[in-house]
Amino acid sequence: MGLIDEIGERLDALVRDLESSLQGARSDDDVRARAARIVGKKGELTALEKRIREVPPEDRRELGRRINEAKARADRIVEARLAALRAEARRRELEGPALDVTLPGRPRRIGSLHPVRQCEEELLDALQALGFEVADGPEIETTAFNFWKLGFAPDHPATCMQDSFYLRDDVLLRTHTSPIQVREMLSHPPPVRIAAPGTVYRRDDDVTHSPMFHQIEGLLVDEDVTFADMKGILTLFVRRVFGPDTPVRLRPSYFPFTEPSGEIDIGCLICSGRKVGCRVCKGTGWLEVGGCGMVHPVVFENVGYDPERFSGFAFGMGVDRIAMLRFGIGDIRLLYENDVRFLRQF
Amino acid sequence: MRISANWLRSLTQIDVPVDELAERLTRAGVEVEAVERVGEGLDRIVVGAVKSCRPHPERDKLVIVEVDDGTATRTVVCGAPNVPRPPGRVALALEGARVPRRGLPGVVGDLVVARRRFAGIESDGMICSEAELGIGPDAEGILVLDDGAGKPPTQDPSLAPGQPLAQALHLVDHILVLGLTPNRGDCLGHTGVAREVSALFGRPWVPPEPSAPQRADVRRIDEVVSVAVEDAERCPRYAAAAVVSLTIAPSPFWLRYRLFTLGIRPISNVVDVTNLVLLEFGQPLHAFDLDRLAGPRIVVRRARPAETMQTLDGIGRQLTDDDLLICDAQGPVAIAGVMGGAGSEIGPSTKRVLIECAHFEPRGILRTARRLGLHTDSSHRFERGVDPNGVPLALAHAASLMTWLGEGAALPGLIDVYPRPIAPRTLRLRPGRLSKVLGSPVDSTQAASILERLGCTVASRGDDLDVTVPTSRSDISREIDLVEEVARVRGYEAIPTRYPSIRTGPPTPRAYPFRQRARHTLAALGLDEAVSYSFVSPRDLEAFRLPPVALPLSNPLSEERSVMRTSLLPGLCRAVARARRVREERVRLFEVGRVFLGWEKPGAATPAREKLWAALVMAGPRDAYLERAAEVDFFDAKGLAIELCRDLTGVAPSIRLCSEVDRLPWLHPRSACVIEAAQKVVGRVGELHPDVIESLDLGGPVAVVEADLDALRTVRGERRFAPLPRFPAVSRDVALLVDESVRAADITRVVGASSGELLESIELFDVYRGEQIPPGKKSLALSIRYRAADRTLTDAEVDSLHATVLGGLVDDLGGQPR
Ligand SMILES: [Zn+2]
Repeated sequence: MGLIDEIGERLDALVRDLESSLQGARSDDDVRARAARIVGKKGELTALEKRIREVPPEDRRELGRRINEAKARADRIVEARLAALRAEARRRELEGPALDVTLPGRPRRIGSLHPVRQCEEELLDALQALGFEVADGPEIETTAFNFWKLGFAPDHPATCMQDSFYLRDDVLLRTHTSPIQVREMLSHPPPVRIAAPGTVYRRDDDVTHSPMFHQIEGLLVDEDVTFADMKGILTLFVRRVFGPDTPVRLRPSYFPFTEPSGEIDIGCLICSGRKVGCRVCKGTGWLEVGGCGMVHPVVFENVGYDPERFSGFAFGMGVDRIAMLRFGIGDIRLLYENDVRFLRQF
Repeated sequence: MRISANWLRSLTQIDVPVDELAERLTRAGVEVEAVERVGEGLDRIVVGAVKSCRPHPERDKLVIVEVDDGTATRTVVCGAPNVPRPPGRVALALEGARVPRRGLPGVVGDLVVARRRFAGIESDGMICSEAELGIGPDAEGILVLDDGAGKPPTQDPSLAPGQPLAQALHLVDHILVLGLTPNRGDCLGHTGVAREVSALFGRPWVPPEPSAPQRADVRRIDEVVSVAVEDAERCPRYAAAAVVSLTIAPSPFWLRYRLFTLGIRPISNVVDVTNLVLLEFGQPLHAFDLDRLAGPRIVVRRARPAETMQTLDGIGRQLTDDDLLICDAQGPVAIAGVMGGAGSEIGPSTKRVLIECAHFEPRGILRTARRLGLHTDSSHRFERGVDPNGVPLALAHAASLMTWLGEGAALPGLIDVYPRPIAPRTLRLRPGRLSKVLGSPVDSTQAASILERLGCTVASRGDDLDVTVPTSRSDISREIDLVEEVARVRGYEAIPTRYPSIRTGPPTPRAYPFRQRARHTLAALGLDEAVSYSFVSPRDLEAFRLPPVALPLSNPLSEERSVMRTSLLPGLCRAVARARRVREERVRLFEVGRVFLGWEKPGAATPAREKLWAALVMAGPRDAYLERAAEVDFFDAKGLAIELCRDLTGVAPSIRLCSEVDRLPWLHPRSACVIEAAQKVVGRVGELHPDVIESLDLGGPVAVVEADLDALRTVRGERRFAPLPRFPAVSRDVALLVDESVRAADITRVVGASSGELLESIELFDVYRGEQIPPGKKSLALSIRYRAADRTLTDAEVDSLHATVLGGLVDDLGGQPR
C-alpha cells in the first residue's frame, strides 16, 4: 500500500468523522464550527492536502482528484445537515402555540359619510346615469328666485305653506331647491337636464321637521317633453334607487310651478305592500317620496323660454326622509346633532 | 278637512264602499289621509224611555229612575241633574255593555256596565252622557234624545225603547280626513266634494235646492237694517238676511253630532247653523245679535290707523289700514272674514239675528289673518277662494234652518250689495295641447265630458273647446289648468310611460365632482362626516374671535341659531364638546359646506357671498396599538392637510407659519399656519387657541384644518408620469447634533444645496433630546438617498458627495456629526 492509498483512506475516514460529528450539531454555527475542524483553513483535511508534495509526481494528479472528491462530499454533508436543521426549525416554528388572534388588529379606520350625504350621492348617481348634470345655486336666495319666478303669487297660501327664514324683505334662506331651476334656465338655453341637490331651510323644528334639511330636484326641458316621459324617467330613477321591482305611482297634487303636478309614491319598503299593521306607510302600502310635475308655462315665461315650443318636467325629493327610511332613523334631529356615536354607524 | 261619508252619500246618491271612495279621491288629487270610523262599538246601549224618576232616599245627588228598555222596566241609579220627564228618551247601557268614555278627560279605558249598589239601591244598567259614549263633548248631564228639531220625541218609531242607540241616532259614519292642496278651496265644503265625487264616478251633479223659511215676519229686511260697502275691491259682495223672534237653545242631537264628528264644537242652534252651512257649502257666515248692532247699520270699510277692537276670543286687536272691518253705526263689530267681535256676539238672550254672507278678496284676508296670527275656519276658506255666486243659496239655507230650529221668522227679502257681479271665465282648450302635454292622444269628447261633469260649460269652436268654468273654481285660470283637470280626473295611470332619448347641451363646468372628491378623501383619511346647521349663535363666532361680519336672520327660531356661520369650526367644535360630554375620547370629524361671508354688491349673481369650505377637527388620543397614545397635535393636522391638498390638486402644498398671527386668532399662535398651493392661500392648519378650548369646554387640544375648496378647485396640478429610475439609489445615514433653533426645513435646504441633482430624498427618522444631549441642542437622525438618473453611483462618488453634504451641515448649521 503506497502513500497515496494511505492518504486516500485517511480522507475517507475524515469524511466519515465529519458525517458522524455533524449528527450531533444542533445549530448552524455548531455545524460550521465542526466542519471547520475538518475542512476549514486549519482543518485536518486541509492539512492532508499539504501532503501532496510527499507523493510521487505521477500520483499527484490522482491524489488531487481524491482530495477534491472528499471536499465535495464534505460540502454536501454540511449542506445536508444545514438543510435538515432548517427543516427542523421550520417544523418547530409551525408547530408552536397559536397566536392570540383575538387581540385587536392594528387600527386602520376609514371614516364614515353622513347618512344624508350618502343618500344624496346615491340619488345623484342614479340621475347622472340617466344623463342629468349636477347643478347648484346659493343657499341665501332672493324672493324673486325662490318664489316669484316660480309662479308663487304674492300672498298666495302656498307661500304660507313654507314659513321661511328671512335675512331681508327680499332675501331668505331658500325654502327648496327649485330656484336652481330658474337660475339654470336663465343662464342656459334648452335642452336643460339637471339634478340639483341642496340644503334648504324652513321655520319648523320638531320630531319630524328640522329647520334645515336636504332636497334633490331634477329638471328636464326640451322640445316635445311630455308627462309620459316624466313617468318613464321617474320610474327608471326610482327603480335605480329603491330596487328594480319597486312599484311607482303618481298621484295628482298641486305645486305653484308645475302643472299637472303629482306626488311620487313608491311601494312601502318596510312592509313591501302587505300593509297590515305597517306603521311606516300607515297601512296604505305606499310611501310618498317626492313631488313632480310638468313645468308651468308661467315659469317658462319668467325665464324667457317659449312655452309653446318647449316643455319639460321637474321633480324633487326630500333626502333626509329617504335617509331616515333607509337607515331606520326615527328622529330627524339626530341627523344634525353630530353625535360621534351616531356618525360612526354609517 | 273632515268629510262625512253619510252626508256625502245623501248629497250625491252615490253609494260605494268607503275605501273605494277614498282611493278614487286620492287618485284624483283630493288626498284622503285617513278614514275614521265613528259611532261604532256601542253594543248593548239602547234607547230607554223614562217611566219615573224619584230622589234617592239617602244621597242628595242621586236619583232613582225607572226605565223601559223595550222589554222590561229597569231600575237605574243616576247622578245627572237632567233626567227628562216621562216619556223622555235616554241612552241606556245594559249590563255587559262597554262604555268607551272617550269624551271624558283623564279617563282611560272602557267601563263595563255591571249591576252595582248605590247606598242600598241596586242599579241595573247605566244612563250615559254623550261624552261617556264618545259621541259628543257634553259631560255635564246625560244625553237626552230629541225629535230632530230639539223637542222631546213624540211617537217617533225610531226612538222606540230597546232600539240600539247607534241605529236610532244614525251614529255609524266614516269620516274622510282630506289633506287638501291650497288650490282646492272648492273642496272645503261637502257640496264641493260631492261635485268632485260625482265627476269621478261619472254621475251628473245636482246642487241642493235653496230652502224656504218656515215662517216670515211682516217687515222687510231693508226696513230694519241698512248696509254700505265702502271698499268694493276688498268686499265684492255683501249679503245679509235676518231672523227674528228666535229662541236660543242647544241644537238637536243630529246637528250637534254632525258638527262634533267633523271637528267643530256645538254651541247653540244659531251658531251651529252657521257652522253647518260652512261645512256644507264651504261658505263662511257670521251671525250678529241684531239688537246689539248700533243703527242697526252695517258699514264695510278699512280700519283707521291705530284703530282697535276686541274679537270673540276676548283679545284686543291692534288694526292697520290694510285690515277690512265690518262696522255698525258706532264702530267695528268684526274683522271681515276672519273673526267676529265680542260686542255683537250671539248670547242666550239673543232674539234677532243678522246673518252675514259675504265675499272677500282672498289676499287681503290672508294678510290680515297672518299679521294677527288668527287662523280661523272662515279665514282659511276665504284665503283659498270661496264661490262669490254661492252666497244666496248658503244664506237662504241658513235663514231657513234658523227659522226651523230657533222657531224664528225670517224677514222677507235679502240685502245683497254686489255692484260688479263676478262672471264665470271662459278659457280656450286646444285638444292638441292636451295631447302634447300628456304625451298621448286624448279624445276631445272625453275631455269635454270630464269638464262638464266638473261643472264647466263646454262649447266647440272648430277643433278647440271654449270652456266656461264655474266661479267656485277660482284656481282654474289658464289652459294648462284645464289640461290638469282632464288628466287628474282620467287618472295619471291612463297616461303611458315612455323612456325619452337623451339630448344634452354643451358641457358646463360643475363644482359637484370636486366637492364629492373632497368628502371621500377626508373619509378615506379616517374622518367621520358631520353636517351642522348653517346658522349659529353669535356667541359661537365670538368664542372663535371671528369678526362679526355674519349675516343675521330676521326671524330666527332662537338666539342659538340666529346668524349665518362664517366658519365651519363652531359647528364641529360643538360636536367635540358633545363627544366630551358623553365620554367619547377619540374625535375625528370633518364637514364640507358653505360659509356665508357677507352681502354681495348690488347686481351680483347671488345676494350673499357664499364659499364652499372643508374643515376637520381632531381631538383625543392618536391611534395606537396596545399602548396609551399621546393626544393628537399640530402634526396630525398638518399631515392630513398635505394629503388632502395633494389628492385634490396634485400639488403638494406648503405649510408656513402665519406671519400675522392676529389674522387667525382662534389658532394657537405658536403653530398657526396657512396652507399655500400654487402661490395661493388655500387654507389654514393649527391647534385651537387654549382660550377657545377653555371657553367651549373642549377638554383638551384640538387640531384643525380648514380648506377653501373654491380656491383649491382653481389649483390645477398636472398629474404627469415620471419615468421609473433605471439605476440603483444609495442611502447614507447621518446622526447630527444641532441647536434647537435649527428647523427641519434648514436641513433640507442645506443638504439640497450641497448635493444638487443627485439628492433623491431626505428622511428625518429620529429627533432626540435628553440624556447625553446638552441643553439647547437636539440630536437628529437622517437617512439621505442619492441617485443619478444616468448611471450607477460608485462608492467613491457617494463617499465624496456625502462628505460634502456633512461639511455643509457642519459649516452652515453648526451641526456636530455623532
Ligand atoms: Zn308599509
